[in-house]
Amino acid sequence: MATSLSIVGREYFSVEVTLEPDRVAAFARSLGTDPAGGVPPTYAVVYTWEATAPQILGDASAGIELANLIHTDQEFDWTRQPRAGETVVARSRVAQDVYRRGIRFLTIETEVTAAGEPLCRSTARLLVRTDGGQ
Amino acid sequence: MSQELRVTFTREQIAAYAEASGDHNPIHLDDAVARSVGLPGIIAHGMLQMGLAARVAAEAAGGADRLRRLSCRFASMVRPGDTVTFRAENRDGHIEITAMNQEGEPVLTKASVDVS
Repeated sequence: MATSLSIVGREYFSVEVTLEPDRVAAFARSLGTDPAGGVPPTYAVVYTWEATAPQILGDASAGIELANLIHTDQEFDWTRQPRAGETVVARSRVAQDVYRRGIRFLTIETEVTAAGEPLCRSTARLLVRTDGGQ
Repeated sequence: MSQELRVTFTREQIAAYAEASGDHNPIHLDDAVARSVGLPGIIAHGMLQMGLAARVAAEAAGGADRLRRLSCRFASMVRPGDTVTFRAENRDGHIEITAMNQEGEPVLTKASVDVS
């Protein structure tokens, strides 16, 4: 792979995501929290990654395969926590795509709104192993 | 107010998190794939660790609804069998989180939470 490949600045389509109550409950149980206690804050990864993963992994020109991705940093900023059953709109863009010592570093920012109002902003930093992890 | 949670990670828990979160990256599920990309075997999702950190942070904050900012770095790999102790301490609206494995190494760093 050419080490010059960079998709910085690329923006993906807005994706509508409904916080399905059954899935929210399963997510809460997987963390050992009470499913009746609302949406676990890190459920944000579901409604933000939905806006990123199918597009970036489905984009052959991005040069990224799932098994080569390692999540290194994550930040979420919320205006408020969402409710189970709400529908949100998430839109991702590639804020950084650089190489250091043969490793590709990606920063993906995702803006999430609900009924047109800001709900959450996610900043995900990932590294991409470009040569089988060597 | 401080809270503590000690968790020994299992393959079953990692698989349940993959299913619930929709993150089916095979490095969390398939040892052969994990080794093929240079890992020692499957590793837990960073977001599973962050979810557990958020759980103790929510307890320290007095409710998950109060979380407004949550950030961390996934500093070391967590493998099945590792035991991680998550601690959250509330200092007037800013919660400090630590997550240490059984060797005393931090698995999350730069972890912090702001609450409303």
